[in-house]
Amino acid sequence: MSEQSVRLALRGLGKRYPNGVLANDGIDLHLARGEIHALIGENGAGKSTLVKMLYGLEQPTAGAILLDGCAVGFKSPAEAIRAGIGLVPQHVQLVPSFSVARNVVLGAEPARGGWLRHRAAARTVEDLAQRYGLAADPAALAGSLSLGQQQRVEILKALYRGADLLLLDEAGAVLSPDEADALYRALRKLADAGLSVLLITHKILDVLDVADRYTVLRRGRVVASGRSREADAAGLAAHIVGRALPPTVDAAPSAAPSTVLLRARGLVRVTGSAECLDNVDLDVAGGEILGIAGVEGNGQALLARVLAGMGQVALVPEDRLHDGVAPTLSIADNAIATSYRSPPLSRRGWLQRPAIDAATRAMLSEYGVVARGPEQPIGELSGGNMQKIVLARALASRPRVLVACQPTRGVDIGAAQFLRTRLLALRDSGAAIVLVSADLDEILALSSRVAVMHRGAIVGHFRAAGLAPRTLAGYMTGALRQPQAAARIDSLFVAPVEDTR
Amino acid sequence: MTLAAMSTFLAPPGARRALAAVGVALLAGLLLIACVSDEPLRAWLILLTGPLPELRLAADGSWHWRRLVRFGTVLQDTVTLSLLGLAVLIPFRARQFALGADGQLFLGALGGALVGLAWSGPGWMALPLAAMAAMLAGGLWGAATGILKWRCGANEMVVSLMLNLVAIEIYRLAIMTWLRDPGAGFPATPFLPPQASFAPLIANTGVSAMLAAAPLAVLAVALLLGRTTLGYEIRVTGAAPGFAATAGLPVGRAMILSMALGGVLAGLAGFHIGHAVLGRLPVDLAPGLGFEGLLVALLARHQPRAIIGAAFFYAWLRAGGQAMERSTDVAREIALVLQALVIVLVMAERWPWRKESA
Repeated sequence: MSEQSVRLALRGLGKRYPNGVLANDGIDLHLARGEIHALIGENGAGKSTLVKMLYGLEQPTAGAILLDGCAVGFKSPAEAIRAGIGLVPQHVQLVPSFSVARNVVLGAEPARGGWLRHRAAARTVEDLAQRYGLAADPAALAGSLSLGQQQRVEILKALYRGADLLLLDEAGAVLSPDEADALYRALRKLADAGLSVLLITHKILDVLDVADRYTVLRRGRVVASGRSREADAAGLAAHIVGRALPPTVDAAPSAAPSTVLLRARGLVRVTGSAECLDNVDLDVAGGEILGIAGVEGNGQALLARVLAGMGQVALVPEDRLHDGVAPTLSIADNAIATSYRSPPLSRRGWLQRPAIDAATRAMLSEYGVVARGPEQPIGELSGGNMQKIVLARALASRPRVLVACQPTRGVDIGAAQFLRTRLLALRDSGAAIVLVSADLDEILALSSRVAVMHRGAIVGHFRAAGLAPRTLAGYMTGALRQPQAAARIDSLFVAPVEDTR
Repeated sequence: MTLAAMSTFLAPPGARRALAAVGVALLAGLLLIACVSDEPLRAWLILLTGPLPELRLAADGSWHWRRLVRFGTVLQDTVTLSLLGLAVLIPFRARQFALGADGQLFLGALGGALVGLAWSGPGWMALPLAAMAAMLAGGLWGAATGILKWRCGANEMVVSLMLNLVAIEIYRLAIMTWLRDPGAGFPATPFLPPQASFAPLIANTGVSAMLAAAPLAVLAVALLLGRTTLGYEIRVTGAAPGFAATAGLPVGRAMILSMALGGVLAGLAGFHIGHAVLGRLPVDLAPGLGFEGLLVALLARHQPRAIIGAAFFYAWLRAGGQAMERSTDVAREIALVLQALVIVLVMAERWPWRKESA
């Protein structure tokens, strides 16, 4: 590959957010003209931050972005668009009541003397669609199209603005397999025409089937890169989920699991996507942690919500800023959200401020939260400190059953270890814990048993002791499954078999 | 409360910005007046000082106040606008964009007048009962919006605006058909009996013991929001609905009660207009006061303690505008432009010339 053909190069690109989270660290990446490059990693690995920097939504704090060998610094998406970068967002953003043509030209309409030229727009769009094989009827209403077609319109939109470097953010995630295939064929045509495509994904198959080359991100760093032809699924999976954590926490339960505190049989939830529940059976006994592993979006989050909705179950929600805290309210207001109704925090409908203040201060010091005091808005805290309060609040009621979703996501290592220690302490006190995490290391380090979910079903159930991430990877991608897999406490740990599909 | 705590309570950081906004808007007002007036400075000064009462030495050597009526108007409007501002503020804190204060005010005034006219029991009970009827009527009308949203998913903005129209027509129907005083020269209720109306503290004005209602209502709302579990539920629901639901807070109840309590205060504002300001209810009572309450709440940035100041500022500008119109060549609408400017400047998330993260 000659130096001239490199369209995009990243040199040691880094991004540290004001709250201290290091989202990207020393990223190196090359993208040539005519190449499809897959950027793969779990949610939270730093892919979105990287895309935001490329598209001018965030500014890097280290390193450089080079376009055709020249360093650029985008202050806004408008500058990125002018430089030939087009973003196809994960969720399409079309005006449903506008025609395809009007959507494509929206914001850059051909006009003469203040009058929009709709016919010229339709012609241009038709030309573009034909040239790149992105079949689309310019007169159709955007709202009447399927998701896959809408995504093609998004691509046309980027092309219309002159983009020759396309960023596709999880483009295949919302599509049916057929639509995804059509999308990928279109991308290949674009690449053959000399355009560059950066495909952001967490699906291993995208790398193997679509991309020319790949880069694996993990915890904000590049952990692997290479040619797709020379890659294999198991190897990629191992890179994506990483190796086992050093045994800094003692995962061995202090006592044998006792009675089953949480039992679910035949849970079904139909949603029309992979985020569904398909006949899920599980038990969790007091004194054990059941880890739920899987590629994100295969029903784990839904399972957590369903379990947490049963009452008497404490929850550490997955989306911390949306469901876990009220960012504009004080730490105290956030800390009491599940306990404000009973004494000593309130009496006969009146909040007892001194008691709330004392309880919050005790929580802050017990969990080592760095904060100015109970009255500080919780949104000003770092992710780790915020999560400590979320966990502290969940544990304050001494729950018998806890569902913890991504309890250490976006949290620095020290705080993550602290949070894990707390979860183990809760387990040792006899509570039953369901741990949903995208971090396989975490699952393996904390769990007593591990269940793997794929397309809403439990496809594997394992004793955690001695389990290797590599074993789980096959189940996570759906290549392997145990027959009749279920996470019942009396389930036999059967030997894995190859999926014969 | 220590002195320092007291001073931050009275002048929170946001207040300084509001004052700056007021100052900028007033200067802009001077420029505006200069465009339309031959004597801009005088008109501007009258706008600002018109409502100020004057202490004069009379010929017989005794002191007496002049222009007290105008100042009284400012005070009576401050009470109305404070109550309406709070009526909008409570649902806003639960993130409910309910704009039903207008209709709640009309029904509150009507409910209060019904009781005031009909009550034949002990005289001292007439006013408290009328006030309760007014608050009940406003509260129920407010709750209706909340219940419709909770049960049917109806948009609270649309519902509350439509219910305003319904309430105003109910008010007109009641006065035209059942409460009309045949002896009055225009369609209106009879005058409320003395036992059911407030004696003015300043002659020829609506300034009465209801003056105390404004600070008491502010205190009640501040306590409600800051010190009760219901207020907590309202604040959390408004600040982060997803979080409130995940944490198991009674989101629907908080939503409905926030609208009902707003209605209670708007009903009380109606009671103030009927029983303290007008003494009777004319059929053509002007709609739109509820929206001034919205502006007051915006100006106070949804902080109860800032409501009275914002209401007073509004009432002052309104009276000043009238004074300016009467004695200069500038129309009172300039005062409206100023009010709008202040709102825009206070609501602006950041000053155009200073970059600060919102």
